[in-house]
Amino acid sequence: MFLPESMSRIVIVGANSSIDETTNVLYDLENIHLIDHTVDADEGFTLGTPRPNNSVATERLLKVRGLSKELGINKHTKTQSISESEIRSQITSDSVEAIEAEVLAVVDRRNDLNQRITDLNAKKKSLELLARLPIDLDMYSGYRSISSIVGRIEKDPTQALAGVGEVFISLNKKEGNIVAVFVKNDDKPQAQSILSECGFSELSVPEGTGSVNENLAAVNSELDAANKDMEVVQKELEELFEKHKHSLRAYDEVLAVDVEKGTLPIRIATTDYTFVIDAWVPAADAEMVKQTIESKVPGTFVEIEEERSRKQHDSDEAEDRFKTAPTKMRHGKISKLFEYPTKMMSIPKYNEVDPTVLIAIFLPLFFGFMVGDVGYAIPFIILGAYGLKFAKNPDWRAIATVLFFGGIWAFIFGFFFFGEALGMHFVGEYTEGAVTYTWAGLLHLDNLHNFFGAFLMNGHGVGKIDAEYVGMLLRLSVYVGIIHLAIGYIVAIYNKTVQHGFKHGFLEKGGQFLIFIGVVLLGFGLGFMLIMNGELVEPLTYLGLDISINWHFSNETLMAILGAGAVFIVIGSIILAKAEGAMQILVELPDTFGIILSYTRLVAIGMSKAGMALAFNYIALGMFAGISPDPTITTNNGIIMIILALVVFCVLQLMIWTLAILSGGLHALRLQLVEFMIRFYEGDGVEFNPLKFKRIKTFSDKNVKEA
Amino acid sequence: MVDTALGFIAIGAGLAVGLAGIGTGMAQKDIGAAAVGAITEDPKMLGKALMFMVLPETIVIFGLVIAILACFVLPGM
Repeated sequence: MFLPESMSRIVIVGANSSIDETTNVLYDLENIHLIDHTVDADEGFTLGTPRPNNSVATERLLKVRGLSKELGINKHTKTQSISESEIRSQITSDSVEAIEAEVLAVVDRRNDLNQRITDLNAKKKSLELLARLPIDLDMYSGYRSISSIVGRIEKDPTQALAGVGEVFISLNKKEGNIVAVFVKNDDKPQAQSILSECGFSELSVPEGTGSVNENLAAVNSELDAANKDMEVVQKELEELFEKHKHSLRAYDEVLAVDVEKGTLPIRIATTDYTFVIDAWVPAADAEMVKQTIESKVPGTFVEIEEERSRKQHDSDEAEDRFKTAPTKMRHGKISKLFEYPTKMMSIPKYNEVDPTVLIAIFLPLFFGFMVGDVGYAIPFIILGAYGLKFAKNPDWRAIATVLFFGGIWAFIFGFFFFGEALGMHFVGEYTEGAVTYTWAGLLHLDNLHNFFGAFLMNGHGVGKIDAEYVGMLLRLSVYVGIIHLAIGYIVAIYNKTVQHGFKHGFLEKGGQFLIFIGVVLLGFGLGFMLIMNGELVEPLTYLGLDISINWHFSNETLMAILGAGAVFIVIGSIILAKAEGAMQILVELPDTFGIILSYTRLVAIGMSKAGMALAFNYIALGMFAGISPDPTITTNNGIIMIILALVVFCVLQLMIWTLAILSGGLHALRLQLVEFMIRFYEGDGVEFNPLKFKRIKTFSDKNVKEA
Repeated sequence: MVDTALGFIAIGAGLAVGLAGIGTGMAQKDIGAAAVGAITEDPKMLGKALMFMVLPETIVIFGLVIAILACFVLPGM
């Protein structure tokens, strides 16, 4: 459960004639992590070449993808699943080529029409400009000794061109100025330089005869006709989309499988007549894999080379390409959901503890403790459950996982420990001058006292910002931190023990653990001695039982604790100095204090939210005016004020709720990734990535027969 | 007399949160800028970037804890 699955290395040897059969079996097993062959690793072997039918499949796949793009078929298009054998028979009877011809004919027409419409639009724009000049189209050209210059212009050039040639101009700020100048051929350069000073840009005059307006009308009617044709073509394309979307998606899937299978030989070693495949398989399945391959592909031989141990030494000894065994994480349905935060850091190594299960326990727990409110927990649970059911994106699924399981913990803490909903206690005594609202007081439900009083701490739950509980909560969070960190340190020693043996493991990581124990003892002793004067009294009742904390320590006991702490620190420092150098002690000591205190955020964040909720509730419920924290006072208020107060209440509560996701979620995650995992986690493993295909748009005929 | 002492406690608590907040802000300013850059290049970095963003928040949480202790625990002593 904690270490990744044990792996065996196998070698598959067979004749080149059976390579396709072998490939199919390997993909069907879905359990083979291929080791890429490196050139010149073994004498006499070379990398293989793609299978002969591969180029046809590749070509068809490109066609299918091109057609899908033209028709707008993508992975979000909803299509039906089709049986694989049907798709294969369609592909062999050249249906891809048939569809291509059918679609391309329409696509070509669409492209031609598009080009035509673009051209007509450009012509229309030019004509619209020229329509403002009193010149027919055929008058612009056809002279022997005169040139015409037509275009847009920024400044009026009439004066500058006086004497050079004839100028026709139409000025219009909104649509742009247009000018046509007729000059003798010899004067053309002079006219052009004058025009360019006035910000001239040339316009090509469309060919044609007669007045511009007549031409414009003709272009408009042509454009209308082209647009109508375009509509027809678009409709045809939509019909083609509907007609071929199912088969194209299925072709894509089947051909992608064929292409990948066909290129498998370039990852393995071959000779003229044989092939050799190196691969990792889960050790538990190695024997089954051997038998399956040997029985399904006669003439192929499978040798189980080794079952890789967890010893680092064995991995270091191996050949380069066999050094790293892949990591296959072992998880149940629930803990699998928490692989995301582990992968966010890195894939665990083959020979180290996979922290996913620990994260699955502590991440929701911490999140729930920080939120600790029934009113915020219920929306979290609903939202999380919805996300887990419908979300596909891994990011959203990870968030939904934390919300759902964290929400459950938040509900438990909110209901049984804090006794709170939406920042208000269910029940509580009204004290003069306090602004705390309670649900019992708000709703005038005295029975709530009987119900909640029965199981809540001290009859009303632990107040996050009540002076009497603050000290207790802070201590509690530190204790939780100590347990969490101790697990981290123990896992660190365990990892090194697995890799190198206990002696090595203890000498490398034990120093930090001993310093940690020393710091805890020292902190405990000093805290009692200097701050609490040797005693801790906390009156607590639970379920009618008196569970008050009543600790008294004599000075001698405290001195003994301090002494023990000092001894642990000294021994730990010596071990650490040997492992990582004396300087590391200077880093480790304050760091250990820091990471333990870092867990006070569990309470601090809950408190900051409770503080906000208190203030917001005071504002919103104060607007009712009738509802004072004192349950005995009731006055009525206008309906508008009540609605306004409700709106304010909802908006402000929503704000706290959103902040709870951000701060609660991120800080709970951070405690795992930073404080906890840095103690032991190295990562940098290679994920187990077996040869397999995910069928979405096709289904295997085997399954149909079996069903 | 008691009021003056309470006032000083309140000022101390305010300074603890406020100054720690400034420290956190200074640290997050640089991380935030880098994080936005990273996310622009690769939106998949969002998770990691958010993680780095909250790293310096430890500082302000220490400040907040001191302030809480000052407000709740000191007056009772």
